[in-house]
Amino acid sequence: MHIPDGYLDPLWAAATYATAITYFGVVAKRFRPVITPEAAVLAAGIFVAQMLNWPLPGGTSLHLVGGALAAAVLGPWAGSVVMGLVITVQCLLFHDGGITALGANLLNMAVIDVLVGYAVFKAVRSRLGGVRGLFLGGLLGGWAGIVAAGVACGIEIGLSPQWPFGTAITVPIMGGWHAVLGIIEGIITGSVLAYLGSKAPEVIKG
Amino acid sequence: MKYGKALVAIIALAIVSPIFGVVLADAVGYHEPLDVAAETLGLKEEDIEWGSPLPDYSVPGLDPVTGYIISGIVGAAVVFGIAYLLSRVSKKE
Repeated sequence: MHIPDGYLDPLWAAATYATAITYFGVVAKRFRPVITPEAAVLAAGIFVAQMLNWPLPGGTSLHLVGGALAAAVLGPWAGSVVMGLVITVQCLLFHDGGITALGANLLNMAVIDVLVGYAVFKAVRSRLGGVRGLFLGGLLGGWAGIVAAGVACGIEIGLSPQWPFGTAITVPIMGGWHAVLGIIEGIITGSVLAYLGSKAPEVIKG
Repeated sequence: MKYGKALVAIIALAIVSPIFGVVLADAVGYHEPLDVAAETLGLKEEDIEWGSPLPDYSVPGLDPVTGYIISGIVGAAVVFGIAYLLSRVSKKE
């Protein structure tokens, strides 16, 4: 879901940069998330997990994004910081995601994926406790976060002056595919949370 | 060290990562929904060079598998290092 250079209209590139910078400014000032050493370990884990591309029958592929996982373990604000760090390092060191699209990639994977994933995770958790609640919360949160991020990504690349109705094409493609692929993100997120919940429940702070 | 196990797991993931990120990706043709959507619209990728030292998780001059493993370990170390520094700063406040 990393948008490369060239896909975004310059206006959208600028608008998404501005939104992402504003968001992180507000998070840093208002919420002052505490980054723990655990968060640093999780950040490194999410970085490596994103390198594992899973090829799927039908010629598509996916890799874990991890926004819901980060939010469930660290809470939404520290989760956003961790995801933002991963995505910025991917862009600057590895040319993964365009430099002009960094704002949009942050918005999709470090903001929308994190916040939507967290909201759904919390909603499930408040109704269902224990390891089952962690798994189901992770499953649905991971799925919803990916679908929301995919739809946002579709809107961003579909909206451009050359393609006034591009979103009518890109949003169904991105939303539809990610509704299917998101199941895998959900299963991984739920499984990791259930494992952590049974081995070291104190690390889950979201 | 308290997180030794987790760090070993991360390094292990980095070592197996080329199976997924290089070998299978080449065999199947890495193709994600974003590529499909972009193709449908006829969007073209622009190559803007900003001097990323390890472009596409490769080490210039090394074979892709080794390059991918080194990229994984370097990337994980950089991400961990920056987050760890942040944790020291946010603790002090």
